[in-house]
Amino acid sequence: MTPGLSQESFLKLIDSHKGIIVKIAATYCPDVVERDDLIQEIIYMLWKNKDKYNAEFKFSTWMYKVALNVAISFYRLSKKQKHIKTTADLPDIITAVHHEDDTAEENYKLLQRQIFSLNELDRALIVLYFEERPYKEIGEIMGITETNVATKVSRIKDKIRLQLQHFKNA
Amino acid sequence: MEDSELKAIWQKYDQQLEEAKILNLQSWVVNIQTIELLQKNKSERRLKALINFKISAVVIGIIWAFFLVVLIYFTGSKNIYFTISAGMILLFTLLACVVYISHVVMIRRINFTESVVEAQQKLQMLQSSTINIVRILVLQTPFYSTWFWHPKWVIFHSTSFWLIALPITLFLTILSLWLFKNISINNASKKWFRFLFSGKEYRSITDAKEYLDKIGDFKKGSVKY
Repeated sequence: MTPGLSQESFLKLIDSHKGIIVKIAATYCPDVVERDDLIQEIIYMLWKNKDKYNAEFKFSTWMYKVALNVAISFYRLSKKQKHIKTTADLPDIITAVHHEDDTAEENYKLLQRQIFSLNELDRALIVLYFEERPYKEIGEIMGITETNVATKVSRIKDKIRLQLQHFKNA
Repeated sequence: MEDSELKAIWQKYDQQLEEAKILNLQSWVVNIQTIELLQKNKSERRLKALINFKISAVVIGIIWAFFLVVLIYFTGSKNIYFTISAGMILLFTLLACVVYISHVVMIRRINFTESVVEAQQKLQMLQSSTINIVRILVLQTPFYSTWFWHPKWVIFHSTSFWLIALPITLFLTILSLWLFKNISINNASKKWFRFLFSGKEYRSITDAKEYLDKIGDFKKGSVKY
């Protein structure tokens, strides 16, 4: 254990991994305004737990654990308060983003919707997969075996692929 | 659709985020200490509210226990049934206080740096922890029907004692033992369980049960897709 990450080194590490936080927040919080709160909450929890980071392990692994735990808890509370049940209830996640490549944006929205239709844990798993984390690391972050990760990822991918195909054909 | 295509769609988001300029994390990070001072953090606030609730329950429990001690001290020696009943209620009250204190310790130990499955499981178990308190407290119910008993009732074979007081106590004893054995998160779907817990509490318990089952399936790998 290497306790006492200084504020400066903490900021540097956060800055180089900021994409993780934003993507996880977007995956669990479709509301753009609330998402800022979630991002702030994730950063605060990272800061608060920085002494628990063991420098022998990857910073990203530790960061994913904290970010996902905070995001899932945040999502579950919002779900209770707002009774989000279906993907149809969700606003577009990236409506604030204008992009010339409409097809790419449309594809991303479709993919995001499919991810949002998964349960909290499967969602975390597929995000880690898309972020190209090795199965071993995903298993460590999620707390399941590597074999279990491989089986689940393969099933979730098949499901997403099928639904994307279905949308495209429609 | 190939794996690479799916990943390409996902990675497109990086670029879009940059364009939307929502990656301004540096400013949030700089404000961490302000957030800390203002206690704006929702997760922490929720857990603190839970801790405050449990500590309030412990304080009420201790006041009640103190009241019972005073009662036993001043009136207990006059009636053995009163002493035993008040003593048992005192014991269960103190036990409930210990469980509440253990919950506070559990909340303080919640660690967001643990694996997702482990941390989420602990959080959900806490959500349904009310059950443990109720289980302990139901055990004291029969003693509320015995504190006014009098040795004369037994010695002189009082009809009202044998026909009313004793059967009621026996009924409450059987009921409380049955509830102690059966009040469990696994019985959350039963009608009698729903009757015991209020709407909000019940929803919180069933929600925790549902999620714990989901976590259990996830760990075992038995989820159907």
